Amino acid sequence: MAALAASNGDAKVLAGGQSLVPMLNFRVVDAPLFVDINGIEGLDLIEEKEDGGLRIGALTRHFALETSVSVRDRFPVLHEAMKHVAHLAIRNRGTIGGSLSHADPAAELPMMAVLLDAKIVAAGPDGEREIPAGDFFTAPLTTVLAPDEIVVAVDLPGLPAATGWGFEEFAQRRGDFAVAGVAALVTREGGTVTNTRIALMGLHDTPVRARSAEAAFGESGIEAAAVAARQDADPMNDLHGSADYRRHLAEALTRRVLTAALERAVQ
Amino acid sequence: MSPPDDIDLTRPQFIGAKVMRREDPRLLAGEGNYVADIKRHGMLHIAFRRSDHAHALITNVDVSAAQAMEGVVAVYTGADITRLANPYQATSRMKNYQATFIPPLAVDKVRYVGEAVVAVVAISRYVAEDALALVELEYESLAVLVDPEEALKPDAPKLHDDLESNILAAREFARGEVAEAFADAAATAGGRFHFTRTTPVTIEARASVAEYDKGTRTLTLHCTTQIPGIVRDKLSEIFDLPGPRIRVIAPDVGGGFGGKTSLYSEEIVACAIARDLGKPVKWVSDRMEDLMTTGNAFDEIVDAEIAVAEDGRILGVKADVIGDVGAYSIYPWTATIEPVQVVSFLPGPYRIANYAARVRAVATNKTLTGAYRGVGRPISVFVMDRLLDMAARKIGMDPAEIRRRNLVNDDEFPYKAASGLVWDKSAFQACLREAADGIGYDELRREQAAARADGRWVGIGVACYAELTGVGSRIAVAPGMPINTGTETCNVAIDSTGAVTASFGLASQGQGMETTLAQVVAEELGVKVEDVDIVLGDTASVSHGTGTYASRGAVFGGGAGILAAKAVHEKIVRVAGHLLEAAVEDIETGNGDVRVKGTDKSMTIRDLARALYSDMGRVPKDMRDEIDNLEATKVYDPFFGTTTSASHMCLIEVDPETYKVEIKRYIVVEDCGRVINPLIADGQAHGGVAQGIGVALMEEVIHDKTGQVLTASLVDYVVPSAVEIPSIDVVHVEAELPGTVGGFRGLGEGGTIGAPACIANAISDALSPLGIEIMEIPATPERLFRLVEAAKAD
Amino acid sequence: MTAKISITVTVNGTAQAADVEPRLLLADFLRENLDLTGTHVGCEHGICGACTVLMNGDSVRSCLTFAVQADGAEVETVESLGSIDELGPLQQAFREKHALQCGFCTPGMLMTATDMLRKYPLETDDDIRDGLSGNICRCTGYQNIVAAVRSAADKRDGK
Repeated sequence: MAALAASNGDAKVLAGGQSLVPMLNFRVVDAPLFVDINGIEGLDLIEEKEDGGLRIGALTRHFALETSVSVRDRFPVLHEAMKHVAHLAIRNRGTIGGSLSHADPAAELPMMAVLLDAKIVAAGPDGEREIPAGDFFTAPLTTVLAPDEIVVAVDLPGLPAATGWGFEEFAQRRGDFAVAGVAALVTREGGTVTNTRIALMGLHDTPVRARSAEAAFGESGIEAAAVAARQDADPMNDLHGSADYRRHLAEALTRRVLTAALERAVQ
Repeated sequence: MSPPDDIDLTRPQFIGAKVMRREDPRLLAGEGNYVADIKRHGMLHIAFRRSDHAHALITNVDVSAAQAMEGVVAVYTGADITRLANPYQATSRMKNYQATFIPPLAVDKVRYVGEAVVAVVAISRYVAEDALALVELEYESLAVLVDPEEALKPDAPKLHDDLESNILAAREFARGEVAEAFADAAATAGGRFHFTRTTPVTIEARASVAEYDKGTRTLTLHCTTQIPGIVRDKLSEIFDLPGPRIRVIAPDVGGGFGGKTSLYSEEIVACAIARDLGKPVKWVSDRMEDLMTTGNAFDEIVDAEIAVAEDGRILGVKADVIGDVGAYSIYPWTATIEPVQVVSFLPGPYRIANYAARVRAVATNKTLTGAYRGVGRPISVFVMDRLLDMAARKIGMDPAEIRRRNLVNDDEFPYKAASGLVWDKSAFQACLREAADGIGYDELRREQAAARADGRWVGIGVACYAELTGVGSRIAVAPGMPINTGTETCNVAIDSTGAVTASFGLASQGQGMETTLAQVVAEELGVKVEDVDIVLGDTASVSHGTGTYASRGAVFGGGAGILAAKAVHEKIVRVAGHLLEAAVEDIETGNGDVRVKGTDKSMTIRDLARALYSDMGRVPKDMRDEIDNLEATKVYDPFFGTTTSASHMCLIEVDPETYKVEIKRYIVVEDCGRVINPLIADGQAHGGVAQGIGVALMEEVIHDKTGQVLTASLVDYVVPSAVEIPSIDVVHVEAELPGTVGGFRGLGEGGTIGAPACIANAISDALSPLGIEIMEIPATPERLFRLVEAAKAD
Repeated sequence: MTAKISITVTVNGTAQAADVEPRLLLADFLRENLDLTGTHVGCEHGICGACTVLMNGDSVRSCLTFAVQADGAEVETVESLGSIDELGPLQQAFREKHALQCGFCTPGMLMTATDMLRKYPLETDDDIRDGLSGNICRCTGYQNIVAAVRSAADKRDGK
């Protein structure tokens, strides 16, 4: 903390380094000082909470999340998403705190945080604060973290029983950043859908909830939701896909994840 | 033609055997010797400051701050290199060709983003790169040309003021009466094809270590090159150093694929600096430099049409090709090599009486285009085989059938193709037949029909190609180019310790030549494979050689190796006849021994060598005067070269929502002559097809309107991983062997030549219910999305 | 110039002490300071996988790790898998299946495969392809590499 504060915003926090170091090697980022937080004790624990959720330490490596039985049982959608995160060597080092702080709109963990209504716990010289995931990401690669703050934990509230999930990501190759991704949680009680959450990845400046798709699903079902997802997306044109194509994917992937989530909600 | 009678290959011991590679132990143990691994005492490191303008005058260069930085030893500009090195260009006798001088460091103008402008030499690469930021460069922008159709207009700004235009080369081919053919046609098909720019992406990026020995005044360059002989010969002129004073060595090289077959500015600069400073210097390309400056591939626009008769016979083909060749004409191949091969190979293995084609190679403000696996031929096959499929669809004929009717038959060889190339003999029809059998073509068509009924987009692709490999002195690899690519040298020597060494002017980048050539020489001499040491990639070991490119390794190396080994074998037999007191006809070799047939009189070849070299008096003077040493140097010129061919077939499925293409089955059936090592031959096919898949589906070098390279990292330039490449079935057809010495054919490029066409045809087949034809490569999901949206809108 | 930091890294079982700049990459530390040139640098941005080594038993990109971060850690490189005269079982499998051509991606493939074989069941060849998807090869088309890892997995499972 002290080192970060003393550097007046010039220092970069180094956790897994899987996003930061490439930029350093390309010399597109120049940081005179690194604060390597890998040694901080106690930040890599996955704790089960009484509400059925998890508190995940910021230094928890992706591989630990991928293989965690607690994650698999309590948040199967996160378990699925972890399989798509880069490759084993990256997962061995990359951390959830790092991924959230890096805030790539096409990355899995930021989108999971938004989908799962995560509370992101940040610590600074003035103490800790909890930031709802929906407020945490403000622009591509930008969060509300102050220069002297770091993420220390991620709190995932427990999900109701009978919540089905769906996760679909489209990338040019296995492990690449998503061209587009959609995830959904659907809770059924009795025969009725009581809760729907749909989150989008790679389809906006930040990961977002697809609010019109959620509303349309509640009113008219899967098809309407899929079409509405196009409005929730505000994708960019880049080398890997045009905005039109990404909007198309928003619809197609939303259809797939809602279908899967409904099926799983019944089981 | 058949192999000469006196070379007996009827009972091969090693040729055709799956010998495990001799290169493997050191490469697996991490003990390979790649250029980047080389360390020398006092070695300094080079980093290049490169142009971020695509076309501009250099108005100011100030290196004083960089020079003053701690750890920086020297800084060189274009003016310095002009002083230290003679200018050079790639020349050609081809009509209408315009050569360009290539300054190793830009002097007054930059012509592509990434062009090297300043070289900083420092105690480490880290420090050298720190200093790059202190170099001050000012530019005055000029109009940027990134569209070759703009660049070829008469009023376009010229990249090279001393040239007449930006059209660096232009050629026409014609046979028969194309206009008549089209007038008589039952159907025509065609359109504008676009095969975009790619880059080789060897996992080992380029690197050079140059050192100058002041005492012997010898410059030694270790570099990641496929062409050590060509580099040495040109550096000799550039630095006014005779052969013995300039040695070029390619040690272990991590892939080439043609991207390392050109002489590069960095190699020249490293040599100039080493000589000037008297210190060893190293330059290792990083990946961004590699993606921006290694010779690019392909990049042609082809307007083409085919005319067919009712029965599917091709009546005529016409094509107009524009090749975007980048900012300079690359050395040594020239800017002609890529686009001209497109039209000279366009007719392919098909019977075409009427043909008219034009090609123009146009300079633009992009990286130089060089030779990359397949060189022009992937586009030839893409265009020709797409035209065939399009015509087949128009007349309602099966794509395999239309090929059967048009492939040159066995009884028509030798066949002069419409562009003038001669196919000596190759199993065109047999390859197609066996590909269809191998993939279960008829059954796949039935499965496709059922899948279609389910709304799935399943497609079957076919492509057939022919190429010339092992091209001898009759035709230069790049026609009109004044470098002899038609011969290769081999020296086979048994030394006074009894060890066998075979030295070649070839170089290896993974093709396993230390093993395959050892197999060939061991076979011929009658020794064990593991007892033959192969020397490659060192200009000090043969008086002339060029290198490995154009799929020539097996043909030239195998042929020259056999000739030299045979000559040494004759000497062994003569000496053995004396030492074992038998007639020469009764002597045979095998397993490192020499014996009298039918008796137990034998000796090891090692003992024979000792007797000849060291035991005075054992071999009479007269015999020794005739034999000299157990050594021979032979040069092999296959003269014409030989036709290699293959058929590719594949089964793909397009996801109707994401437009991702999955390749489910892939088969290559090739007529590649006598196979030296089936493991290695299959490996070449796997790797070639994998690169073809990358080209077909995802690889693309993209420049923006200002000439910036947008694909300057491996995140943006996408090459296939293990998930995107299926298992590939490779079948070698046992057809009549070519007349090359040894009966070998080249086979390095075939996978890349046929795959883009095969996959494009499969996707077109899958999307044919929507009336979509794939005209542009790569067929990315984005492109397929656009095509499907447009089709649905109609 | 930034002050150097003293580190001790155990590499292939031997403790190596050195004073290094904070920005020195682990890949460069291995290759330049320790002359262990078996680990190769292919892209410096974590995509190609050629630089993969094991750190405390986990496969990592040595081009994305600073040498100072390896202080106190155990690093294993390709040189630890076997020698020229005695290749290890995984290296032997690669040789038998012709799973390398130019050899430049090979050390990274071997280290990734070593980690994969320890961490994943690899029931299908698709699982193997998935696991190798972070190591790019341009020569082999991957087929024989998959076969080599399959053969090693079968041995591991006593098949």
